[in-house]
Amino acid sequence: MSRGQVLRTCTRLLTNLHPPRFTGTMKLLKLLLLPYMAAVIAGAFLWVEPAEGFLGESSRIVFFHVPCAWTAALAFLVAAAYSAAYLLSRNLRFDQVAHAAVRLGLLFAALTLVTGSLFARIMWGSFWNWDPRESSYLLLLFLYGAYLFLRAAVDDPERRARIAAAYALFAMVLMPFLVFVAPRVTESLHPQTVINPQGKILMDTPTKTVFFAGLVGFTGIFLWLLQLETRLARAERR
Amino acid sequence: MREEETGTGLALRAVASGIVVLAGKALFNFLLFLAIAALAVPAFALLLEWRVGSPAALAAVVLLGGWGLSIVSTFLSALVARAGQRNVLFLVVSFPLLVPLLLPAIAATVAASQGSLAATPLRVLVAYDGAATCAAYLLADAAWED
Repeated sequence: MSRGQVLRTCTRLLTNLHPPRFTGTMKLLKLLLLPYMAAVIAGAFLWVEPAEGFLGESSRIVFFHVPCAWTAALAFLVAAAYSAAYLLSRNLRFDQVAHAAVRLGLLFAALTLVTGSLFARIMWGSFWNWDPRESSYLLLLFLYGAYLFLRAAVDDPERRARIAAAYALFAMVLMPFLVFVAPRVTESLHPQTVINPQGKILMDTPTKTVFFAGLVGFTGIFLWLLQLETRLARAERR
Repeated sequence: MREEETGTGLALRAVASGIVVLAGKALFNFLLFLAIAALAVPAFALLLEWRVGSPAALAAVVLLGGWGLSIVSTFLSALVARAGQRNVLFLVVSFPLLVPLLLPAIAATVAASQGSLAATPLRVLVAYDGAATCAAYLLADAAWED
C-alpha cells in the first residue's frame, strides 16, 4: 500500500468517526450497565480476597483506581482522534466531541488521583508523598487543564477549534513521556503496574475477572457520558 | 508571540509556510540557548567550583535538552500567539509538557557531573526530542494558519 493510500484511508477513517449512538441494542446495554457495575462492585468486595503484601483491604482499590486511569487515557486518546478528524475535515462537531472527551478525561484523571491518594494514606501514611507517579499524574491534570485554559482564551470558534486540536494532538504525543516514561526513570513507591517489565498480569483468576470486568464497565460509563456530553453541546449550539 | 505583538505576523504569514517559520524560530531559539549555555555553564562551574566529570556527556545533555526546549516552546508559542493573556497562557501550557524533558535532563546532568554517561535519561531525551520534532512538523501549519 502506497503512502498516499495509507493517508487517504486514515483520513476516511478519522472523518467518519461518530460518537456512539445508543439505539436498540445499545439502549439495552446502557440499561444493563447499572446491574453490571453493581455486580463488579459486589465482586470486588465479596468475591476477591485481599492481595498479599498490602495493608488491610487496601488492595481492593485496584478495581476502581486502575479502571479510572485506563478510562482517562482512553478519553485523551479519543480527544486526540477527534482532534485529528477536526483538522482533516474542519467539522466543528468533531471539535465538540474532542472537548467533551478532554473534560471527561480530566474527571477520570482526578478520580485516579483521589483513589491513589486514599491508597497512599493507608499504605504510606500520607495522602500525598511526592511520589513520581503521583506527581506525573498531577501534571497530567495540568496538561489537559491547560487545554481548557487555551480554549477559554480564544474567542473565534474556528480558531479555537484549530488551536485546541493542534494542542490536543501535540499533548497526546508527549503525554506518554510524562505518564509512562518519567515515573519509570526514577524510583517509585507505587506497586508494580499492570503494564510491567515482565509483560505478565500478576493476578489470580477472581481478581483478573473482576478487574477486567471493571475496565469494561468504566469504558461503558465513559462512552455513555461522552454521548450525553456531545448531545448537550449540540443542543446548546442550537 | 513577538510577531503578533509587533504586528508583523500577517506579513510573515503571507511569505512563509508554518513549517518554515517554525523551523526558523526553533533554530534561532536553539542557537540562543546554546549561546546562553556557553556563558552560563563555565560561569556556574567557576563560581560554584563545580567539577564536571564528563564534559562530553554534559555537552550531549545541553544539545538534546536545548533542542527539546526550543522546539516545544516554539510550537506552543505559535499556538498561544493569537490568544488572550498569551504570556500567562504560555506558562500554563508549557510547564506540564516540559517537565518530562527536564527530569531526564537533570538526571543526565547529575550523572555527567559524577563522570558517567547516563544512557537511559539520554535515550529518553532523544526519544522526546524526536517525538516533539515530528509532532511539531506535522502540526506546524495547523498552529500557524489564520
